Amino acid sequence: MINGWELVIGIEIHAQVKSKSKLFSSSSTEFGSGPNSQVSLVDAAMPGMLPVINKFCVEQAVRSGIGLNAKINNKSIFDRKNYFYQDLPQGYQISQFKDPIVGNGFIEIESEGQSKKIGIERLHLEQDAGKSLHDQDPNLTFVDLNRSGIALMEIVSMPDMKSPDEAVEYVKKVRSILRYLDTCDGNMEQGSLRADVNVSVNKPGDDLGTRCEIKNLNSFKYIHSAIIYEAKRQIKLIESGENIIQETRLYNIDSGETRSMRSKEDAHDYRYFPDPDLLPLILEDDWIKKIRSSIPELPDQKKERFIREYSLSEYDSSVIVSDKSTSDYYEKVVKDRNPKLVTTWVTSELFSVLNKKNLSIDESPISPNHLGELIDNIDSGKISSRQAKDIFEEMCETGESANNIINEKGLSQISDEGELEKLVDNVISSNPENVEKYKNGKDKLFGFFVGEAMKLSKGKANPKVLNELLKSKLNT
Amino acid sequence: MKRNLNFIEASSLLEANETTSVELTKIYLDNIKEAEELNCFNTITAEQALDDAEKSDLRREQGKLKSQFDGIPIGVKDLFCTKNIKTTASSKILSNFVPSYDSAVTQKCIDAGLISLGKLNCDEFAMGSTNKTSYYGPVTNPWKSNKSDAKLVPGGSSGGSAAAVAADLCIASLGTDTGGSIRQPASFTGTVGLKPTYGRVSRWGIIAFASSLDQAGPITKTVEDAAALFEIIAGHDPKDSTSSIKENESFFDNLNSSVKGMKIGIPREFKSDDLPASTQKAWDDCKKLLQNNDAKLIDISLPHTMDALPTYYIIAPAEASSNLARYDGVKYGIREEGENLIEMYEKTRSVGFGDEVKRRILIGTYVLSSGYYDAYYIKAQKIRSLIKNDFNQAFEKVDAILTPSTPSTAFEIENEPNDPVQTYLNDIFTVPINLAGIPAISIPFANDENNLPIGLQLITNSFEEQKLLNIAKNVQDTVNYESVPKNWWQK
Amino acid sequence: MLKPYILENMEFDKDSLYKLGKLSKIQIDESKLKSLSSDLGSIIEFIDRLKSIDTENVDPTSNSLDQSLVMRDDIASDVNSANEILENAPQKELDFFSVPKVIE
Repeated sequence: MINGWELVIGIEIHAQVKSKSKLFSSSSTEFGSGPNSQVSLVDAAMPGMLPVINKFCVEQAVRSGIGLNAKINNKSIFDRKNYFYQDLPQGYQISQFKDPIVGNGFIEIESEGQSKKIGIERLHLEQDAGKSLHDQDPNLTFVDLNRSGIALMEIVSMPDMKSPDEAVEYVKKVRSILRYLDTCDGNMEQGSLRADVNVSVNKPGDDLGTRCEIKNLNSFKYIHSAIIYEAKRQIKLIESGENIIQETRLYNIDSGETRSMRSKEDAHDYRYFPDPDLLPLILEDDWIKKIRSSIPELPDQKKERFIREYSLSEYDSSVIVSDKSTSDYYEKVVKDRNPKLVTTWVTSELFSVLNKKNLSIDESPISPNHLGELIDNIDSGKISSRQAKDIFEEMCETGESANNIINEKGLSQISDEGELEKLVDNVISSNPENVEKYKNGKDKLFGFFVGEAMKLSKGKANPKVLNELLKSKLNT
Repeated sequence: MKRNLNFIEASSLLEANETTSVELTKIYLDNIKEAEELNCFNTITAEQALDDAEKSDLRREQGKLKSQFDGIPIGVKDLFCTKNIKTTASSKILSNFVPSYDSAVTQKCIDAGLISLGKLNCDEFAMGSTNKTSYYGPVTNPWKSNKSDAKLVPGGSSGGSAAAVAADLCIASLGTDTGGSIRQPASFTGTVGLKPTYGRVSRWGIIAFASSLDQAGPITKTVEDAAALFEIIAGHDPKDSTSSIKENESFFDNLNSSVKGMKIGIPREFKSDDLPASTQKAWDDCKKLLQNNDAKLIDISLPHTMDALPTYYIIAPAEASSNLARYDGVKYGIREEGENLIEMYEKTRSVGFGDEVKRRILIGTYVLSSGYYDAYYIKAQKIRSLIKNDFNQAFEKVDAILTPSTPSTAFEIENEPNDPVQTYLNDIFTVPINLAGIPAISIPFANDENNLPIGLQLITNSFEEQKLLNIAKNVQDTVNYESVPKNWWQK
Repeated sequence: MLKPYILENMEFDKDSLYKLGKLSKIQIDESKLKSLSSDLGSIIEFIDRLKSIDTENVDPTSNSLDQSLVMRDDIASDVNSANEILENAPQKELDFFSVPKVIE
């Protein structure tokens, strides 16, 4: 709600299928090669060229549909969406209109501490367009067709989201599911996953307002701020007595504003019709079943299991499973170890380092094995938590293993009672006055003895053992 | 050497070393040169042809023939993309386009050792039935009426392909048929034209007109030639998603001209008082001929025959309007500069396309546009189901169907009706076949009172081309039509 | 019973014609407006005759080939150079196609 206005948000996610070749041609999808170097005759819409569908892409669409708890359609149709644009060589995009490969589904997101269902209307396969460069020449736009024909899954939500937070949670969750399924790499910066967000506002109880679509948002931050800007813009217009025009808008990342897209002003009439170059796509039940049986554990299931098996809190579990790599990392470390200790080290120490260095978990300077080793040393009492933090920092810098650092620096903790007893005896005998005071009731002096003993051990004394020894010696 | 060699004769001469591929190619290049007035070719690839012929002769010497028809010169409709050879679809918009690839069909011809003499004129983007919509001007039918000296249309859209075979400018040719574009010109020029089952011949590399209807096929002098060339170009192509996975067959070797016991359907909806008497007579004579050869005639009904043409004129333009969107001045073809992108598109397409193509793009856009889609496009697709169903039911009772190929014989180039719909009527007998996706052949049967060829159409069920060719051969061998046009164009 | 189609001279309305021109990127030439709208009018009238046909409970056919889509394996085998793809381009800059400046 903004100033008594309700927001209604629906999202179309375009997720690039993680395939080697394009949806209807055999040219490569690799990112970052020279302009127009990954363009087949089909992608450039040369006369007489025909599309042939990529089986892998169909499989990934089905996998994704299963991950979105959606109906997989046994028969789907590819349609042509007709419009002219410099990045659309065929003059039409091959997409799916009336009969998509995946029908209704849903996902669950966290909203204000509660679980909320967001409906999925459909998922369909379509071709990506080429790329236009407008800043290379004052009078010309340059066109690179490398992206032309790359397979996209368009995932359309129901208009079930009510706030920018929910919208972001939704996109995060879909991204997470696709990454678990490995159907899309989810890389938003490179454009492998982008969102078109439909926003409208209305007064509670009123009919839905006219919606505007903000195109091509490729970060959670932009999704969030674009929705806020757009909602406020619409509210302002309505409150000043104006009408909202249904249109496509662009978000300017520098100004944080949205503006009408000039080039799409022409009233569009996409004239969808079944692509006569393609026949109906028929998927047999057995085939779908086979794919279903290969679906890995998804975030919701994993979250429940982590709570069950590792006694994680709801919160910690959601944080850890939200990203597949993080959960993989966590599971590698936690295997045969103390889950509580592992959770603390992963969610606080490791995450803060990654955040500071702006790294993903896959780029973590500390491998799961190394972190596990460190935790083993803490758990066995070989090192103190305090020491562990120093060692952890050094591990980040050097990439060394915990054991190597501990051995090299002689950092391991003194837990041997005999050795510590000598230290304690030494402290007691050299401070007879304080011992006297302590025995007469000055309890606070206990800390002084601990400090002295630690000093003597050069900080290596196991505090727990040391405390117990001191207590028993001083109290006799 | 004998004039008007066919495929089989030419291959026997080559085999007997009575001629060479180079000699044949030279003769045909001379024939082409003499027949410039007919305007059959958009591009003549003389040098390449002679080069290829030389290689063929070498293969023959070395006993390494690519096929039994290695070295035979043919012509190719300018709708098939040909590697490093200009391919225009007879349109200004592609008048400078040189593909870097060969269509699946022309590649198969190369693989069989056939020699291409050049690219044959046609209606622009195969839209037309007179060959008058070509950017390169109309093709003239080698046939003339014995009552007038007026130039006649060869039919279309494969007008150049049919006229070139009739005028003996090549031994056989490749055409395409979307609504009659092989059969109608074959009928107008006294040649044999086969439209195969949809999906038999790969469409890869053929400039698309209406993707769900387009099908390539041979135009030849005899039914045997049609079987031979068809066999060369047919077969599954993984690059074409609408290519049938059925295996190719030995149509030529399996030719057999018996029609004994076959049931031939005569559809009552094709009968009309408007049919010229000579066409009606040819049709009747053919029925008698088949009966005499022990086939049985069966009266059948194809109730939606009259609905086929308007159905076609929704579906074909709809698909074409989308297929031709790629000609936008960005990737290939001509460009007319504009102030901005939209203006560049509009100018390029307005200058680049001819009137008939523009009409069809506009109609196609109309029938697909919002508010009209269900009323026109979906309606037409439903009627297409009804038409297909008519044929399915008929083929439960009969082996083949016999009809005239066209409602008239060739007419004067200058005498085309103003109303485009009247021109569309040329395809009234051929269009239902494309909508149903079944094969049909037009064979010359007789000449009319003006000495112009009359073609008859035989139709069978999907993938029954062998039966179709067999019946056609029976008719051909019995009627023994041997008429050829007088070569008035030779000086 | 084959009968010639008799057409009244219906004309296609001009606003719709301009709209179709915009959609299909074809300029409607003023001088040909009259003949074009009469041509299209007669074609529309011709195809309108289908309206009376009962098609209830009939499924549409978009392709006559009774076969399901054949899928190909995901192999990136098609390699073309930018040169080859740009060979026929009316205008190119560096390795790009180029068009009049587009403002989004």
